[in-house]
Amino acid sequence: MKLDVNALGTFYRMAREGAGLAAGRLTHMTGVETQVGVTKLNFMRGREIQRDFEDSTEKVGVRVKLTGAIEGYSMIVFERENAFRIVETLLAESDEAEIDVDGEFDEMTRSAATEVGHIMNSGFIDGWADVLETVIDVSTPEFVQGATAEPFFGDVSEAPDDDDLALLFQSRIETVGTEVGFSHYLFPKRESMSALLDRLRTSGGIEYDKLDGFDRMAERGAEEVAKTATTLTGIDTSVEIRRLNFVSLEAIPEQVADQKLVGVAFEFDGMPSGYLLFLFDEESAHEIVDAMVPMEVDEDGFGEMGTSAIKELGNIMASGFLDGWANVLDTTIDHSTPEFIHDMGAAAVDPVIIQLGENQEFAFVFDTVVVADGREFDCEVYAIPDEADLERALNNLDVDRIEETPTTAEFQEVNNS
Amino acid sequence: MKTYGTEPGAPTPVQVGISELVVSDGDDTLKSYGLGSCLAIALYDPDSDIGGLAHVMLPDGDTADNSDRKPGKYADTAIRALLRRMVEQGASYTTVKAKIAGGSDMFEFESFGDGVGQRNIAAAKEELEKLGVPLIAEDVGGEYGRTVEFTPGTGTLLVKTADESAENGRVEL
Repeated sequence: MKLDVNALGTFYRMAREGAGLAAGRLTHMTGVETQVGVTKLNFMRGREIQRDFEDSTEKVGVRVKLTGAIEGYSMIVFERENAFRIVETLLAESDEAEIDVDGEFDEMTRSAATEVGHIMNSGFIDGWADVLETVIDVSTPEFVQGATAEPFFGDVSEAPDDDDLALLFQSRIETVGTEVGFSHYLFPKRESMSALLDRLRTSGGIEYDKLDGFDRMAERGAEEVAKTATTLTGIDTSVEIRRLNFVSLEAIPEQVADQKLVGVAFEFDGMPSGYLLFLFDEESAHEIVDAMVPMEVDEDGFGEMGTSAIKELGNIMASGFLDGWANVLDTTIDHSTPEFIHDMGAAAVDPVIIQLGENQEFAFVFDTVVVADGREFDCEVYAIPDEADLERALNNLDVDRIEETPTTAEFQEVNNS
Repeated sequence: MKTYGTEPGAPTPVQVGISELVVSDGDDTLKSYGLGSCLAIALYDPDSDIGGLAHVMLPDGDTADNSDRKPGKYADTAIRALLRRMVEQGASYTTVKAKIAGGSDMFEFESFGDGVGQRNIAAAKEELEKLGVPLIAEDVGGEYGRTVEFTPGTGTLLVKTADESAENGRVEL
């Protein structure tokens, strides 16, 4: 099984189109304004998907089995509370009894939730069928609920095992003005996916197994960032989220928090080349400055001392991150001197996507979030490599040696020239 | 970002995401968040109160394959698409005016050459000139982000920076 950017691009369009149809139908059904939030293709291991589910919130899912051009399972998942809220809107017009949002699903609310989920699933699936110009058949919907991954896909053989890397479609649909969102998952059968990829591919492509290399890169990079951050600030940090997304370039700034952020940006050069950004919210940035600069710093801004402390931290984290990659890929990657930014988050990201946008429409984004226990230290890391370079780097990768590669990146003095 | 089921005249501003363009009229507000090197292009016809906002990412769509599908992505094709849609809705081509904002150069990376923001500004100006649309106001360049709100009915383009209390924190064009 091989994939290339053209095939992934088609998948991305499928996801967008499907999300649009699903949102439109939800609006039609409930009269509630909806909008399509971030759409992503994620490469995730089975255990990460499970971890995603196990955030101790009760969830409700509506699952259908697909046959035809895509075989596998499609599932709409909402938080239990949100499911109730939508059901409430739906049943508001009939004079039915009050709905107890903390209660259990009864026959009526269960069937209403199933209907909503099914109509949305069908929206997605019709969207894919449109893009692929083909037919996909859908089974009757199945209602599932629980707080762990088990009831949702424990019995789905298509769902990836702990170590299997799965291509996951994730879309958010939000109701305007309220916080009701949904996630959508597609677990395709491997053979069905393979056949689709063969049809959609326009270049030689990357062997699917080499995507393991992606995951290793993401893992090593993230570990190095957390390690260097802890060493330098004395704040105990850990990697909270680490995933590889395939998104359209435009979607990247939209994902960044809509607030003033502090960041450090780099360009890197090698195989691959690209851009690397570390973004902190203001509180975290102040905390870092306090931890790194012994004397009192001006409260409002970051001043010369604060700026240089954050740049230094960024610089060392960048070295660690890229050394992590270079180790996996058995190459060297150099990076520029740090550029400090204290501005709207999206404004920090758009120059990068503009530059890459000259030659590519989509990007693989290595998303990482590093956090600290009990203290403010939220750092989002965006690593966006040049697509052609990345494809080449992965193709050169010898998958067998990944497992053996030790992380040799050491904490080192920065060359701040 | 596309919104489904929006009531016409709803008070919430319509979001114009990257590579999107929206044409509207009257008191509707069109809004683009966090422009760095991207450029906001606002066109309006003061006689008919019809106007539109584009949030462009790249300068040149004529040489790109996908500009038919995404005219709002490029400065040149976005301006033409805005004009066409406005005229379709009843605007008069000859009275249309333009305002632009954005196009910062946030970083000095070697790979960025003369600056990605500057390229967008130059491309927009060139296309407006070519089509004979007067550019009557601009707030472009610099090294900071901007959020813009455009009201077609009044032609007001409100430009805000992250620090609204700063000297250039809030500019009305």
